[in-house]
Amino acid sequence: MAKTLAQEFTKGLWKEIPPFRLVLGLCPVLGVTTTVENGVGMGLATTFVLVCANLLVSMLRNVIPPKVRIACFIVVIATFVTLVELVMQAYAYPLFLKLGLFIPLIVVNCIVLGRAEAFAYKNGITSSLADGLGIGIGFTMSLAALGAVREVLGTGCFTIPFGAKLTLLTADWYTPFTFMVQAPGAFIGLGLMLCLMNLVPSK
Amino acid sequence: MREMVKMIVVITLLAAFSGGLLAVVRDATAPQIESQKLKFVQGPTIQSIFAEADNLDTVLNDRFKIVDGDTETNFFIGVYDGKPSAVAFEASAVGFGGPLGVMVAVNLDTDEMIGVGVTTSAETPGIGSRAKDEPELAAQFTGLPLLQPFSVSADGGDIDAISGATVTSKAVVAAVTSAGKIYENLKPQILEKVGAFAG
Amino acid sequence: MEHYIVLVISCIFVNNILLAQFLGNCPFLGTSKKIETAVGMAMAVIFVLVMAGGITWLVNTYILIPFKLEYLQTIAFILVIASLVQFVEMFLKKSIPGLYAGLGIFLPLITTNCAVFGVCIINIKEEYSFLEALVSSFSYAAGFGLALILFAGVRERIILARVPKPLQDTSIGLITAGILALAFMGFKGMV
Repeated sequence: MAKTLAQEFTKGLWKEIPPFRLVLGLCPVLGVTTTVENGVGMGLATTFVLVCANLLVSMLRNVIPPKVRIACFIVVIATFVTLVELVMQAYAYPLFLKLGLFIPLIVVNCIVLGRAEAFAYKNGITSSLADGLGIGIGFTMSLAALGAVREVLGTGCFTIPFGAKLTLLTADWYTPFTFMVQAPGAFIGLGLMLCLMNLVPSK
Repeated sequence: MREMVKMIVVITLLAAFSGGLLAVVRDATAPQIESQKLKFVQGPTIQSIFAEADNLDTVLNDRFKIVDGDTETNFFIGVYDGKPSAVAFEASAVGFGGPLGVMVAVNLDTDEMIGVGVTTSAETPGIGSRAKDEPELAAQFTGLPLLQPFSVSADGGDIDAISGATVTSKAVVAAVTSAGKIYENLKPQILEKVGAFAG
Repeated sequence: MEHYIVLVISCIFVNNILLAQFLGNCPFLGTSKKIETAVGMAMAVIFVLVMAGGITWLVNTYILIPFKLEYLQTIAFILVIASLVQFVEMFLKKSIPGLYAGLGIFLPLITTNCAVFGVCIINIKEEYSFLEALVSSFSYAAGFGLALILFAGVRERIILARVPKPLQDTSIGLITAGILALAFMGFKGMV
């Protein structure tokens, strides 16, 4: 094992942070980031699925025959996604209503399947766990950052995840730039953030 | 051959494990999910149309179910002057962007509507969704007898549609009319259940 | 009839799957560098999505609902789509090699294309009838193809432009997509 556990974890936070460095899983990134809270909720749900799926796949990696591995990954991932869906409906219903369609869509999020295929199927349990957690947290941070930019510019407010709603830019001098919370704002916001990331050298 | 068997065994075991796990979780969360749905989907509408009821705080729990054929309807009891004299229930019709739900509260003694509110709406933001945000349309029903068909003024009826959102307005009217039919069919059972609640 | 026309227009333009619903964005950026690949991908999606929309509707109505298994929807649908894609691939390879040569390499990508999975779920959520589900699947797929091909056309031109280094590739792609989405917003309120 060339990398240490800490390196497996931290690479997801900066060097391979999705969706900036790894351009995968764009749909939820664009779809749910109208507020910070939605972004964080979606990120945590994805992290949970990612960690559990990585863990199970790496535990079963010697049992799963290579020919049907994709089918097995999909079953594992879909199980955890349904689990998240049920639990979220039971304990965080308003968040479930906002994220709606994007919760079942975690199944087809290329990040999750990609990590199972490229990492967990080839590596041990602990490093798979570290990898899942790192990528998941990185993904949550990206979603939160894009959500923050769009929410602050688009509505002038900032919602602390699962907490109070603050008005940062008051209406007497700032006209909310509604464009940012609509569809085009998602694409352009992400495009510009990607540009900023490219300005910082990855080493 | 050995490989084939292994493939089938692994997939079957995995599927069985996942099915079993999900069935257990679903059974454990089902009651909680139902109460969350009531609280966040129908709750706000019920509380606004029963704003003057004595049991405003507990109205979401003062409910009973009537099964009629395939459909199961939840009825919420409103207590006025210490007497359970009203029920609220949901009926739906097809609007512009999909099904549109309308919560109708009716006085059991006079069969007159106490209030009407739109619950779920997938209408176009800014146009059809005004049916939910602006109460003028729903307010027109208050005090009218429920047991009659309604129609919008363009069709010769006496409900004024929201201008620019005719399809949505018609859907609200159709939902209230179907609520009238549900009420007509189930009234004996409703009275029986409400009687049991009072006793 | 009028109802179906409204449905078609709303699925292709107003609720465009890529630019208004944000589904299927990975292949949108991945396969849009050349018009040829974009056309191939668009055809493959139309082909699979109509079949997947029909089959998942049948599975939901005749298997999941009667046995009260709606909570297994996610698993059932993704397995149906994955195996459907496999079957289509094998069938095309054996029977219609010409079409396989054109669509073949795009088919495996479709399993994880959230547009396909998303539309199947939308069909159920909106409580469409079987015919409506087929029409909406086809129209959503056509909307996907339209946006993808338009976007590929724009991107072919961008290659010739001098884009500042940090903005190159995906970054400028996303900004272009944003401007295209802005154009599609003009369809809002049309129906």
